[in-house]
Amino acid sequence: MADAIRIENLQKKFRIGFIPKPREILKGISLSVREGETFGYLGPNGAGKTTTIKCLLGLIRPDAGTIEILGRPHVQPRSREALGFLPENPYFYDYLTAREFLSFTADLFRIGRAEKARRIDRLLGLVGLERAADLPLRKYSRGMLQRAGLAQALINDPKLVVLDEPLGGMDPLGRKEIRDIIVRFKDEGKTVFFTSHILQDIEMICDRVAIIVGGRIVKEGGLRDLVSEKVLFTEVTVSGMPPQTFAGLGESVSAQGDRVLLKIYDEALVDQVVRLIHERKGRLIALSPRTETLEDIFVDTVTRT
Amino acid sequence: MKIGAIAGITFKEAKRDRILYLLFFFAALGIVASRVLAILTVGDRVKIIKDVGLASISLFGVLMAILIGTGLVYKEIDKKTIYTLLAKPLYRAEFILGKFLGLVLTLFVMTGAMTLIFLAIVYAHTLKIEGSLLVAVAYIFLELVLVTAVAILFSSFSTPILSSLFALAFYLIGHLSWGLELILKKMRPGAGKALVRGLDMILPDLENFNFKTEVVHGLPIPPGIYLSSFLYGVCYTAFILGLAVLIFRRRDFI
Amino acid sequence: MLKSAAAKKGSATVLLVLFLLAASSAIVLLKAATDKVVRTKIPGSSIIYIPSGKFLKFATFGYRDLAADAIYIWAIQYYTTPTIDDRFDHLDHVFAIINELDPRFQDPYEVGAMIAVDGAQEVLTDTRDLSRGRGRLEYARSLIQAAFAILDRGAANNPDQWVYPFNAGHIALMTLKDYPLAEKYFEQCMKIPGAPEFVERLRANAIYKKGDLKTSWETWLDIFKRAPDERTKKIASNHLYNVKATIDRAALEEAASKYREGHGRLPPDLEALVRAGFLREVPKDLDGKDYFYDPATGKVRTAISPWRR
Repeated sequence: MADAIRIENLQKKFRIGFIPKPREILKGISLSVREGETFGYLGPNGAGKTTTIKCLLGLIRPDAGTIEILGRPHVQPRSREALGFLPENPYFYDYLTAREFLSFTADLFRIGRAEKARRIDRLLGLVGLERAADLPLRKYSRGMLQRAGLAQALINDPKLVVLDEPLGGMDPLGRKEIRDIIVRFKDEGKTVFFTSHILQDIEMICDRVAIIVGGRIVKEGGLRDLVSEKVLFTEVTVSGMPPQTFAGLGESVSAQGDRVLLKIYDEALVDQVVRLIHERKGRLIALSPRTETLEDIFVDTVTRT
Repeated sequence: MKIGAIAGITFKEAKRDRILYLLFFFAALGIVASRVLAILTVGDRVKIIKDVGLASISLFGVLMAILIGTGLVYKEIDKKTIYTLLAKPLYRAEFILGKFLGLVLTLFVMTGAMTLIFLAIVYAHTLKIEGSLLVAVAYIFLELVLVTAVAILFSSFSTPILSSLFALAFYLIGHLSWGLELILKKMRPGAGKALVRGLDMILPDLENFNFKTEVVHGLPIPPGIYLSSFLYGVCYTAFILGLAVLIFRRRDFI
Repeated sequence: MLKSAAAKKGSATVLLVLFLLAASSAIVLLKAATDKVVRTKIPGSSIIYIPSGKFLKFATFGYRDLAADAIYIWAIQYYTTPTIDDRFDHLDHVFAIINELDPRFQDPYEVGAMIAVDGAQEVLTDTRDLSRGRGRLEYARSLIQAAFAILDRGAANNPDQWVYPFNAGHIALMTLKDYPLAEKYFEQCMKIPGAPEFVERLRANAIYKKGDLKTSWETWLDIFKRAPDERTKKIASNHLYNVKATIDRAALEEAASKYREGHGRLPPDLEALVRAGFLREVPKDLDGKDYFYDPATGKVRTAISPWRR
């Protein structure tokens, strides 16, 4: 499988201030995204996520390194023929309607008139903006702008979709819709590269992730590889038994009224606890093994760097 | 055509700018007021109508070009609409040229409207329309095109206020080239004179597009000047746009 | 492939730079070509449409002096461009604007008057008809009037400057040969403190030329008495000699012609006039010397030139 994106040793310094003091933002980023993958790009604020994307799109010139998009050097405008981009806070020409804006965007890809009309109708339906299609964009809410942005990113039926914080600022229903759309991309064989802070969503849909901290990739790999299925501890909720009963078996996290919440680190002891509850005629309310989540990895990685 | 698409939305955006209509209003006022001024003058009344009319079209046209042009690129960068735009398969040169053509189209429409009012007033006074007036307006428009290119050049790297000042300075320098010639005549030969001569060659000579004096006084325009003036305007505009593209290509959009 | 992409991007920049160089050379060439074309340049002829300096005063938003300077500099170039045939048409108007804007700007008054006088000369002598059909003499006269108008303005706005009435008197004396007018200006000039003392003499001279010999005699006598140095005294004395000689000559020649009317021929000598009763006595010049009389022509002249004494 070819690489949809290949970045090698990307470096970028910014000169800030009146007496320019160079600040290194990207200190040699290398990553690759295979075609058909859904790739998550994570990092704390200011790590260089957006800068990487801007270098990718040609908005910023890298100081060093190479970037290839779908096999073409990123400096060529042709490399973006099959690319769709949704920026973090979408800003569009607020005096145009969604339809006019999509029409203009289609013109930039030289899409013929009939095909253009078809695609616009389909996309407006996909993102749920059919009714607002002829309102000027300045009347749109944040969520509606996000949808319009998604539509313009898909106008050219791209093979690679780049999204910068696509789920930010949306209500849970909206987030679900976007998530579903991204999963649909995967089914359609599209490659998706996106950044997000919402790690649960990344965990749900990504195949691979990379974590960037301080301008460097500190972790990269398949999600299943990074996040082990190891059980960290098991949470057991019991009622009708005093906490002291479990001394030595597990940690009593809280005791509220009748209920006791236990944290059992040793897997072997879990069976013992269950048998104990059964013997003493207690009630087992809940039992949930807690595996390592992406958030754990993330926090761990960032604090360690 | 991608440049055409960008020109189209630029035109749409420019024609919403209220400054355009404000300036148009003052231009129309100026042209109509020339009738009043004609009463206060000594001598040929039609001359003052033609002179004030052409001057209005020229002055307000330049103001339109500068005030709108200097905001064109800056607004896109400031409002961040440029991110989605440049993420498309677009050469940066196409962006600049599209913006330029969009504004030129806008100015064409406005100049046309002002010219119609002007010709109507002249017709009301003289019952004929001279071709030379149209020639003068055509070359005023060429001057506007060049000023537009300059406004866009500055807009690609500077704020609207500074850009406006620079563009205005360009315009003033362009009309004071006769001063340089005078200084040249009175200077003694030497390094200083060579320097001034060099400046005279490269600084814009906007008087090349100014046929107002000939047209108003009914003097003949030497035919050789039409072509060389036109080509001068085209080449200078091309140069400025080339410079704008060169600068714009190197910009980082943080 | 990556290397070639970088090369392509670099080559695009190179192409762009080459394009800019080509365009700039085209610009320089075209400008040279356009400059060669001769256009009738009438720089700033629309200034004539401005009604008056008073209006302009308000329109220049407080930069009056600067506007005056600018217009003055323009005017100098304008009036020293000999190819502009009709440049003298609105001379007073132009300088009036400059004077109104900055009444204390001294140069324009003098220079304006000088341009006017020179212009009048040119109008009379140039092969082209600069009056364009209005009549050379009329036109030249109007320019001289313009010169006076400018200088009068200068005097009115700057009562402490003696040069303006002096210049005006000088023009009246030398160019117009209007002696009463010259006398008036020199008198005005004398009254201004700081006026040079030779202005008195110019005034006296003007009175003499005017023909008012009595006042001329009194004026020169006054100068003679007040003379601060030997030189002035000598000059005054010469003038006095001249005035007396003129008076005497006129009287003698008139008597001689009356004698001829009565006797049919000119008198043989000056005593004959006394004998015939036309004169009481034969006057002597200021030095006490006789006047020469030519019986053939009836003309009288002085023994010595007044300036050789």
